[in-house]
Amino acid sequence: MADLFLAAASSVTTAASAAEAIASGLGTGALALQLNAGAIAPEVAVLLTLVVCLVVDLAGEKAASRWVPPICYGGLGASLVLLALQWDSPLEPSFLGSFLADNLAIAFRAVVAASTLISLLLSWRYVERSGTPMGEYAAILLAATLGAMFLCGSTDLVSIFISLETLSVASYLLAGYMKRDARSSEAALKYLLVGSAAAAVFLYGASLLYGLSGGATSLATIGVALQTSASPITALALVFVLATVAFKIAAVPFHQWTPDVYEGSPTPVVAFLSVGSKAAGFALAVRLLVGCFESFDAQWKFLFTVLAVLSMVLGNVVALAQTSMKRMLAYSSIGQAGFVMIGLVCGTEDGFSAMVLYMAAYLFMNLGAFACIILFSLRTGSDRIADYAGLYQKDPLITLGLSLCLLSLGGIPPMLGFFGKIYLFFAGWADHQYLLVVVGLVTSVVSIYYYISVIKMMVVKEPQEASDVVKAYPAITWNLAGMQPLRAALVGCVVITAVGGVLSSPLFDWASSTVAGTPILQQAIAAAAIAPLG
Amino acid sequence: MLSALLLIPFAGALGLLCWPGELATERIRRAALGLLLLQLLWSLRVLLAFDASDPGLQLQESFAWVDSIGLDYRLGVDGLAMPLVLVNAALTLVSAICTRDLSQRPRLYFALLLGISGAVNGAFLSENLLLFFLFYELELIPLWLLISIWGGANRGYAATKFLIFTAISGFLILGAFLGLALVTGQADFGIHPVTTAQLGMGTQLVLLGALLIGFAIKIPLVPFHTWLPDAHTEASTPVSVLLAGVLLKLGTYGLLRFCLGMFPEAWALLAPWLAGWAAVSVLYGSLAAIAQRDMKRMVAYSSVGHMGYILLAAAAATPVSLLGAVFQMVSHGLISALLFLLVGVVYRKTRTRDLEVLRGLLNPERGLPFTGTLMILGVMASAGMPGMAGFISEFLVFRGSLAAFPVATLLCMVGSGLTAVYFLLLVNRAFFGRLAVTPPSGDAVADSRLDVRLPAVALRETLPALALASGVVGLGVLPWGLGKLSEQATTAMAQLPALVAAIQGGGLLS
Repeated sequence: MADLFLAAASSVTTAASAAEAIASGLGTGALALQLNAGAIAPEVAVLLTLVVCLVVDLAGEKAASRWVPPICYGGLGASLVLLALQWDSPLEPSFLGSFLADNLAIAFRAVVAASTLISLLLSWRYVERSGTPMGEYAAILLAATLGAMFLCGSTDLVSIFISLETLSVASYLLAGYMKRDARSSEAALKYLLVGSAAAAVFLYGASLLYGLSGGATSLATIGVALQTSASPITALALVFVLATVAFKIAAVPFHQWTPDVYEGSPTPVVAFLSVGSKAAGFALAVRLLVGCFESFDAQWKFLFTVLAVLSMVLGNVVALAQTSMKRMLAYSSIGQAGFVMIGLVCGTEDGFSAMVLYMAAYLFMNLGAFACIILFSLRTGSDRIADYAGLYQKDPLITLGLSLCLLSLGGIPPMLGFFGKIYLFFAGWADHQYLLVVVGLVTSVVSIYYYISVIKMMVVKEPQEASDVVKAYPAITWNLAGMQPLRAALVGCVVITAVGGVLSSPLFDWASSTVAGTPILQQAIAAAAIAPLG
Repeated sequence: MLSALLLIPFAGALGLLCWPGELATERIRRAALGLLLLQLLWSLRVLLAFDASDPGLQLQESFAWVDSIGLDYRLGVDGLAMPLVLVNAALTLVSAICTRDLSQRPRLYFALLLGISGAVNGAFLSENLLLFFLFYELELIPLWLLISIWGGANRGYAATKFLIFTAISGFLILGAFLGLALVTGQADFGIHPVTTAQLGMGTQLVLLGALLIGFAIKIPLVPFHTWLPDAHTEASTPVSVLLAGVLLKLGTYGLLRFCLGMFPEAWALLAPWLAGWAAVSVLYGSLAAIAQRDMKRMVAYSSVGHMGYILLAAAAATPVSLLGAVFQMVSHGLISALLFLLVGVVYRKTRTRDLEVLRGLLNPERGLPFTGTLMILGVMASAGMPGMAGFISEFLVFRGSLAAFPVATLLCMVGSGLTAVYFLLLVNRAFFGRLAVTPPSGDAVADSRLDVRLPAVALRETLPALALASGVVGLGVLPWGLGKLSEQATTAMAQLPALVAAIQGGGLLS
């Protein structure tokens, strides 16, 4: 907890200076120019929301549950609008080079903020029912969001570490939010232990980088320094940094925490962790690997290839054996991260765009799936796949929504996931990553099998084969507090997943303009284009 | 114009699913029938607009869909696709008509039927590889649902097996398409023949191999056929009609359009092996059919055998054999649909398909005389009796392939003879002799007392079968219509290897 406040406090100070800079306006010159604090305006919006949520929480439970949701919508909505305004704006490093709001950062921050918004929509009913304070929950989730958003744009080892820790500490708290549930506490403890180890490893790697570069913390400077340094220590630093990234995106073999944490944590939190936290992890991966270890291209690509293959194989194969829905989605998210890594390994324009596109697609399809399982567990209290048997009769909305989202995750046309996956494979093949694409194709078949077996449970089972849980299914009502937002999030995600694929052309354009507006990616692409010729 | 062939079924399916309020089964069925009839009429309209003397793609429509991955929405129809679109429209209508006593979820059922029909149309009309793949995958889940919800006792197993096989086939095809489009450097998913100048023969063979296996699963050819008998046995009659009549044609269409059409040189290199594969497939399918007790399994294995002819014809790749392949696709579509329909009638009336049990169904008073008559007709057509569709297609295939691959063709002819063997076994056991629908108890007196009276078959139940049977005979007597329709396209396709070789300006294997 103390850590959190420390991190939050540091964010508060940065934000305060940012606010000052904004207040002093553009005219007052040098300070604003140097700090360029406008770049973190979206984060400021989130931070203000966080503070207001905490203040409202003081006014008592009733006021909190009345006012916290609209405040959060407003804050996150404002943050998304501010992000949209930043799009394609001229690039100025802010805070003396520790933060850069390039298009990549904007895209991933938008994914994070959207995932928080949807997770919050999914949470209200869940939190209400567990009887925990709403303002506090929203504040911790927003703190995690703040960390994740800063992480997406950090270009400096110190700011990376601070935002990483803000995200992590808040995530540990969220994982253990159901204090009375032993599994939730277990999840929090496991997450904390493994996460702290990962943070320590990162610090060690960062200290090596600091030493190697002769005392620089900016990633760009370190990158330049690394180009001339051939010392084996650099490889060590690379491995350490890579381990942290792999931990954050839950790539095999750094995935062990995922199933347990996903199973024990409150489901809306899992929804955030599986999308928001992962998106931040990928942004971090791009910053560190592409921006800093550019001269060790072959090495990190090789390591990432291994991680991607392991993730796709293990994630998808182990998911076959799961009986709990959350564990199944946990392993499936490991596999999905493996698919996304194909795009990163390519290092081509298409590869990066495919990665961004797939993250955006993954946001909607995965959160849609989580919305459905949250709704199901709210109504039945169950999370077992077998308990979904015969659901189509009692709850067509969940059946349809979950089926579409799972089909999309499995890459079945005409869903959004199909287009995302095709793009990844396309990019991988164009960059001659045959191994990755073939493994991806094979494991896609495997993933179809387990996604389909859930759909089979819900759609194919006859009423007489229905599970006891479904037989005793409660009447469907939407008038309980927090149900309407849940429904809105569910329907929204499912509609985007189902229709977004057919209308995905703008999304593709958005992904490629993300890459076009990101200097480090452009450099990497240029380098990759020159390499085969030389 | 072609887009309407996608729009009608897809919009219809969505409309059926989303129509507010309760709908009676009969109304849903009528709506679906209306839509399918509309689709058939529209297909006929396309046929009227189609110019048979032009070997190329016609009535083209296109707009860029997703530029980044080269996915264009490009439709076009040629002499190869046109007959298949018609068969698709006709057989989907037939399978909707013969859907009776649908006890549950009629909305979903008819929506899926429409969806499959639309996806198949899309696959036949696509001019873009990715678009083809999209439609190819699109029919996967609806068919899986059709088998696994409205299937027989062991439907879960059969449906999942179908799903996995077809998913593997899909991803093999995707891999090959990606390889083909990207190996040249730019993302071009158009359908053009590649030459050795663009792509080394080794790469071509690998890509062609992946495509071949992908389509061989779908067709299916031995040894990738094991999903088909299971799927047919468990699927309900209308779904079997659709599966055998329409969906298997996706595989053979892919074989002609993509394997032969895009890798003419590698294809020519592999052709002798493919002919051998075809012979193995035909003989294995026929021999396995002889060993079956279940009527439906027997018809399913006969499909495996008869699909082998198409591979033979494609391997020979002469103008005559390719025309034969198109004829075989159409006639197999009609004949197997007819046979599955009739087996369905028998099953509905007797509750069994076991050839050890059924006897004397042709009994004029108490049996199923009319069904039996049509069955004999269908069986004769399948065995290639002159005057029916099967004869024309088999004759063309054998005539076109004999010069190129005499041994393989002769073996396939033996397979054709075996068709007569197993179908005569079927007719002889089930339709001739003394009427019985229960296993003989061994006690002659008790058996003779069994008084079986099968429920009469109403005329409307046989109407679809009658329509198909007249189609089979019509195509056999007047084959020139279809011949004219496809001749230009198949001739152009047969000349492709020579054309490519001419472009290369030299010998193929030099």
